Amino acid sequence: MIMQLIGEILKLTVLAGLALAGVLVILIWKKGLATKVTYLRFIIQVVAMVAIFYLFTYPVWQLIVLVVILVMPIVLGRFFCGWLCPFGLYMDVITLIRKAFKIRYRNLPDKLNKFLHNFRYVLLLVFLILPFILSLIDPPSTLEVGTLMALLFAGPFEPLRILLGPMISLIVPWEGPLEICGLYFSYPYVQEVIYYSSGIFVTINALIFLALTVVGSFFVRRVWCRFCPTGSSIAILNRLRGFKWAPVLHLNKDEEKCTKCGICKRVCPVQVNEVYEKKGGRIMTSMCMLCFRCVEMCPYEDCLKVNLGGKTVFKSRNWLEPSEVE
Amino acid sequence: MKSQSEEKKYMPVISQKEIDELRNVIKATSQRIIAENIERMKKTDTNRPKAMQYFDEIANFGTREKEIRAAKESGKKVIGYMCLFAPIELILAADAIPVRVNSGWYDTSKLGDRVVPVEVCPMVRSTIGAKMIGLSPYLELSDALISALTCDGMTKLGEILSDYKPVWAMVLPRVKDSARSLRLWNEEIKAVKRQIEALTGNKIRQKQLKYAIELTQKATKAFRRLQELRNGSPVIMGRDAMLVNQTYMWDDIQRWTEKTEALCDELEKRARQKIWACPPDTPRVMVTGTPMIWPDNWKLPTLIEEANPQGVLVADELCSSERLLYDPVGVDEWTMNDMLKAIGERYLMASTCSCFTSEDGNEDRINWLLNKVKEWDIQGVIYYVVRGCMLYAIEYTRVKKVLDRLNIPVYYLDTEYTREDVGQMKTRVEAFLEMLTARIDI
Repeated sequence: MIMQLIGEILKLTVLAGLALAGVLVILIWKKGLATKVTYLRFIIQVVAMVAIFYLFTYPVWQLIVLVVILVMPIVLGRFFCGWLCPFGLYMDVITLIRKAFKIRYRNLPDKLNKFLHNFRYVLLLVFLILPFILSLIDPPSTLEVGTLMALLFAGPFEPLRILLGPMISLIVPWEGPLEICGLYFSYPYVQEVIYYSSGIFVTINALIFLALTVVGSFFVRRVWCRFCPTGSSIAILNRLRGFKWAPVLHLNKDEEKCTKCGICKRVCPVQVNEVYEKKGGRIMTSMCMLCFRCVEMCPYEDCLKVNLGGKTVFKSRNWLEPSEVE
Repeated sequence: MKSQSEEKKYMPVISQKEIDELRNVIKATSQRIIAENIERMKKTDTNRPKAMQYFDEIANFGTREKEIRAAKESGKKVIGYMCLFAPIELILAADAIPVRVNSGWYDTSKLGDRVVPVEVCPMVRSTIGAKMIGLSPYLELSDALISALTCDGMTKLGEILSDYKPVWAMVLPRVKDSARSLRLWNEEIKAVKRQIEALTGNKIRQKQLKYAIELTQKATKAFRRLQELRNGSPVIMGRDAMLVNQTYMWDDIQRWTEKTEALCDELEKRARQKIWACPPDTPRVMVTGTPMIWPDNWKLPTLIEEANPQGVLVADELCSSERLLYDPVGVDEWTMNDMLKAIGERYLMASTCSCFTSEDGNEDRINWLLNKVKEWDIQGVIYYVVRGCMLYAIEYTRVKKVLDRLNIPVYYLDTEYTREDVGQMKTRVEAFLEMLTARIDI
């Protein structure tokens, strides 16, 4: 009992600390001190990961997170993917490790990248339809509408969990779907992988999936983000005509200031070509996860801008100007 | 290096006596011209920044020649380049000295006529002439040349100079924004890297290359600072700034950066005290077109800034000045692979050389000009072309159309590598400046 109380207090303290950190970050941003977006993004990613980890310990909060990740993208695009997603952080950390070893990254061929980009819709659809098919094969005992709804949203299949997949805490030693050597692991999407496997394949499939994502993100930057179903669910809404106006956060490019030096194209972790290819104006592609790495690296003042509801919150600077050269 | 007795592909046989005679005469003229140019620059801006003294010294070819010679004796290699597509970072990383060997001597262009017809670009002819009599110290000292195949003249210049030195040709794709062009160019960069390594005997490693990139990034930083200072009321005459930019082509880059930063510090102080190099309402002129190379080909900037009414050069789009350093190497990750890619992209894709084309033509150059005209508040553009410079001459029509839309007057000035048309050019430049002044009055 006392331990639980201490635990709760600890949780609240951490949350309060995180809130404070968030406020600090915003203040730094406001003062224009955040010259390196990458660092800022890293802080926010860590904060978000811990926050989501805590939120997930309460079932009610899961629903709130779900609502947030469904509603927020309508106005903020894939900001979530670039700045908040814990799985994204996880891949960024692997990238950091790769950098430390001074190993080069590989680029996917543009065609494959495009294909994967479209493939995520298929992935999402499959995950959404699969529970229905499974429920037909193994029909539930009662066929009331309420039961079906419950099955769909919170039942054993949990198709909407797919959307929360990337947010599953990475390592929770005391609970988790995957047990290896007495240690429990939780890993994005592993739950789904396990659910659709059976018998001895459970561990094997999960391990294969784990290895693939680890190795993949070691060599290819942000490999999962290229076909993440959560990312597609975000993008689908903005494809609808009625929602075209909605994204208030987007990249803007000034054609005349661009010399087409190609830096934006090279530094993009998900290989978005639009920023480079587009002549100017708003850049709207659901491939872009708004990490603003291109804006940070663009060496021409005011060429790339991040607009939030008509206001410029961040823009490319002559990054040689402040003593930034590492 | 090939022996002298070997049959030359292009170069005629000239007696040593004639060579010596010609060299002595032209060298004397060259020294006189350098002194005169500097003198005139001092006269235009009587209160010239003190930091310019260093650049005046280094502009005299002898000073740096001695240094390079000493460095060569201690085992360093010198690698010359003709167009600014040569990856300087790689040369620096291999502990070699990069120098640009294009020649600006008027007199040697006459000598070049012996090898190629007069229709050919005078800069090419002048470089050939300079090589003939061994005038340019940097061309003489370089152990190898990097020749990027940009325009026709440059392509063949490399071939002609290969009579004397190993010349590494770099195939430059003419359409730059396509993946296959970049692939080709990156291969060329890697090939040149191997050649540099073979010549110098130094392997280019991650650490050295990172250091070299940081060195040029710092140079770009200093350079951009200087250009930013030219925006706004003129704190420095255009010729002085052009000289600073130009010396980058042969100076030690680290020292150049330090001196340029010092110059910028001084200029910033002057701007605060409102000490202007010329009256702030002087028409602001930009030059674009064919490169102008120190020391001889300095007549247009001199004419503009000494004219009556006076004009001031606040920007230019010349590969001998602003375009040298405008773009930094943007490295994402400091791995060898990414650094080489970054270098490749910086040289190919960011360049606005008129030899490029694409679906939209040379859109990048147009955008560059438009941006400069708007941001730097340019009142008139002089489009400078030497006879024989096809690519820039052709693009004039498009540039004029675009600038007409902005109501910015453009003046097409064609000339030769000669001093004879200075009087006539003076009339033309002054008429243009007069018109600009009249526009300001309105």
